[in-house]
Amino acid sequence: MSNTPHAPAPVASEHIGLYDRRGLQPRNVSFSWEDTPLHWLPGDPFAGHTINVLHLLLPAGERWFVHVYKQVLPLITDERLRADVVGFIGQEAMHAAAHDDVLPHLKRLGLDPTPYTAQVDWFFEKLLGDRTLPPGRARKWWLMERVAIIAAVEHYTAFLGNWVLNADELDRRGADPMMLDLLRWHGAEEVEHRSVAFDLFMHVDGGYRRRVRTWATAFAALTFLWQRGARYFMENDPELPAAKASLGQLFRAGQQGVLPSTGSMLKSIPAYLSRSYHPSQEGSTAQAVAYLATSPGANGAHAANGAHGAHGPHGGVRA
Amino acid sequence: MRRALTLTAAAGAALLTRRALRRRIRRSPLWPLPALENPVSGHSPRRLLRATVVARSEPAQGVVQLTLESPELPAWAPGAHVDVVLPSGLVRQYSLCGDPADKGRYTIAVRLVEGGRGGSAEAHAHLVEGAVLRVRAPRNRFPLVTAPAYVFVAGGIGITPILPMLRAATAARADWTLLYGGRTRASMPFLAELAPYGDRVTLVPEDEAGLPDLGRLAAATGVPVYCCGPEPLMDAVLAAAADPSAVHLERFTASTPTGGAKAFTIELHRSGAAVEVAADESALAAVHRALPATPYSCGQGFCGTCRHRVLAGEVEHRDDLLTDAEREDSMLLCVSRAASERLVLDL
Repeated sequence: MSNTPHAPAPVASEHIGLYDRRGLQPRNVSFSWEDTPLHWLPGDPFAGHTINVLHLLLPAGERWFVHVYKQVLPLITDERLRADVVGFIGQEAMHAAAHDDVLPHLKRLGLDPTPYTAQVDWFFEKLLGDRTLPPGRARKWWLMERVAIIAAVEHYTAFLGNWVLNADELDRRGADPMMLDLLRWHGAEEVEHRSVAFDLFMHVDGGYRRRVRTWATAFAALTFLWQRGARYFMENDPELPAAKASLGQLFRAGQQGVLPSTGSMLKSIPAYLSRSYHPSQEGSTAQAVAYLATSPGANGAHAANGAHGAHGPHGGVRA
Repeated sequence: MRRALTLTAAAGAALLTRRALRRRIRRSPLWPLPALENPVSGHSPRRLLRATVVARSEPAQGVVQLTLESPELPAWAPGAHVDVVLPSGLVRQYSLCGDPADKGRYTIAVRLVEGGRGGSAEAHAHLVEGAVLRVRAPRNRFPLVTAPAYVFVAGGIGITPILPMLRAATAARADWTLLYGGRTRASMPFLAELAPYGDRVTLVPEDEAGLPDLGRLAAATGVPVYCCGPEPLMDAVLAAAADPSAVHLERFTASTPTGGAKAFTIELHRSGAAVEVAADESALAAVHRALPATPYSCGQGFCGTCRHRVLAGEVEHRDDLLTDAEREDSMLLCVSRAASERLVLDL
């Protein structure tokens, strides 16, 4: 009976409802990239570019999350979980849009990401997209497989979110405040909703074999795409003609605290594969919500928000 | 002997494969993944474009004209407006009044509103030559239909969307007239640009000639009327027009009408059901009664999750998210409503 779903309970103190009675809500954010330099993490372009890979993967990846979750909504029978998934979808849609806005700025700075992002687009829209499958078992299988992949990827986004919220070294190095706010707003929402993808997977399927299989797929894909992205950025950086990415740099950056440490990355593997795993066991919802309450991007301080401000009277033509 | 031959053949094949792979990898630094032909990421039509103010002039009392420049600015058609993000973060909408053929440049004109909400004062004070601001790609809710003749009516700064229409109508050899009212001659912008059009243009400065005489509208049956100006002028045009359905108005106020929500019917094409949307509820709420699993999220028109395809019916778009192209066949259920009696959705 190795494949019996049995859901581990979430850590009680980490439930979202404790902090926000409305449950998960997408936040309307805005950032402006005019003043962010290419090397927004001074003195460590490798670490900066390794983090920049997020901008390459997330727009297509999180649009894909939304696409898959829209299809899974009818299968949810638990009202509270459905409300959480609804909030999750909007948050992911905003993440995709916010990271997408960084790409034209990188291009303006002389580092055109399009050759790479066009492939990531293919990866998510074609390879992992809706295949022409007959309705019924095959189609359901492919949907469940993708839901499980998302749960595995969300394990890593929560890991990274928790890391960036606590990465004080980035502040000490004088990282660009706008980029830090984007990363921490995103990281905080990932921590805030870290249980949703896993709970959804346990709710609609929960098979352990599928969890291991899709973890292996997601881990391999992430590693492949990430190293490739970091190498792409380092090799095409107009300010660093001879730069290369290497494992040694990754290890050193981890030791210095400008990237997650190699040890913590290795430790996150058995965590997800443990049968008693629940995402609420790591990270702090209180810390995430506290950051979100003060994040300039999530509170309209970078402006440009007005145009999206619901439907109040905002723009007088020639007013 | 035979073994040696096999080995040589295998080694040769391996060598050839390696060379072929190497050549392929060298040709494309990002081998082996295929790419999407039309990339999506980084090409959002919604993103803000950075533009520089390259020229500033005062075409009339209390009006500044700004030319914005950026290689990224998309093409536009007469009647279009842009959202401009002022340095303070205020967002204001201004009609484009330059020449659509002038690629990479937008021209806007801003009248200073005394005691306004601050947008025009900020534009007048801070948008000097060299200033950098952000604009969103143009939208057009005042497009010029193709017709053999037009009647244009402008009031004051409301001349801005009309000006490119006059050029387009002239280029298309259409028969048109313009009735242009304002408080005083000195406060009416673009008089010099209008001079070559001769007697097609009737100027009506209020201090000299009173309010414009809209009598000619009653005679113009079947001719589209384009009007932009203060609210009372547009009401008067609507009242005087021979055919109110031929009147196209561009309002000064918010793009998203707030009041006047009416009840309407939504037909769900795929499920074969119909739901009634009450005046005080959203289309989304009504659709949820029939199809509870319909995707949505923010409920405020910014996340885009509840965008659905519209098969028939007129939509009153109340969001600021969708582009003109997206609006042609889809709507955000959470905030937008019907402009007609009923909508048919692909749900």
